[in-house]
Amino acid sequence: MRITCPHCGARDAQEFTYLGAADPQRPDGMAATEAAMTEYVYLRDNPAGSHRELWYHGAGCHVWLVVTRDTHTHAIASVEAARARKAGAAA
Amino acid sequence: MAEIATSWRPRSAWAGIAQPGSFGAKGKTGVVATLLDGFGLATLIAEPGAATSLSRAVEGRLGIALPEMPRIVSGGAHDAIWAGPDQWLLRAALRDGFQPLLDELAAHAAVSDQSDARAAFRLQGPRTRDLLAKGVMLDLHPSAFGVGETAVTSVAYLGVQLWRLADGPDGPVFEIMVARSMAGSFWSWFTAAAAEFGCRVADQD
Repeated sequence: MRITCPHCGARDAQEFTYLGAADPQRPDGMAATEAAMTEYVYLRDNPAGSHRELWYHGAGCHVWLVVTRDTHTHAIASVEAARARKAGAAA
Repeated sequence: MAEIATSWRPRSAWAGIAQPGSFGAKGKTGVVATLLDGFGLATLIAEPGAATSLSRAVEGRLGIALPEMPRIVSGGAHDAIWAGPDQWLLRAALRDGFQPLLDELAAHAAVSDQSDARAAFRLQGPRTRDLLAKGVMLDLHPSAFGVGETAVTSVAYLGVQLWRLADGPDGPVFEIMVARSMAGSFWSWFTAAAAEFGCRVADQD
């Protein structure tokens, strides 16, 4: 599998490290219920199809990426820098 | 303060690892590795939004702007080499006068002197691409990787940065840089990979 890094171009998946689902947001630790924290820490969807996930380009530009990948086919629909998403969320 | 005499001497990153000579297949030399030494090297990392002011400072001082794409830009005795978003390597041909330059640039970026932390060599010769194809997981065909392009990648599980300089009489010219602590492991891969082509190792002029 190859991932097209927005900075480095198409690279072998060996250059990247997988973290997991990109979308879970940490609840406010002080206010969150135990159920909400359990959900955040342990419970993940396991979709057969499109999945947004975090990859780290450790052997390249050292940037965290959000990769949208089809878990059936490994086809990658999009790759973006995670910090671009963070900047978007803050705006 | 009085200078304290010690027996400490600068030591090339290749000392005890690689030496001038030839190895591998006899006959025509397929690749030539030139061991680089004595250069100054620093990482420049700009804070978000500060890349433009850093680039202006470098340009004002050295006449070269920092590349926004994975490229190497050379001017006189210095090279600016892209190393990631908002990150660059700055290389000086000689270490003399490098520290004052870094002190100046420190106003614009996180600057870290890496002159003693990397081992580098230049690779050329008619079989250069055949050799690199054995370890580099990138398309280095001239249509895909032009003169002046750089890549941060791995070879034999070791982190490397490489770039392509202007072609020489024997075709493409690449420079490859690895962490100094990995130079021995990298050279082990290199000698095994280059042997079939016939390799000459040379010191820098």
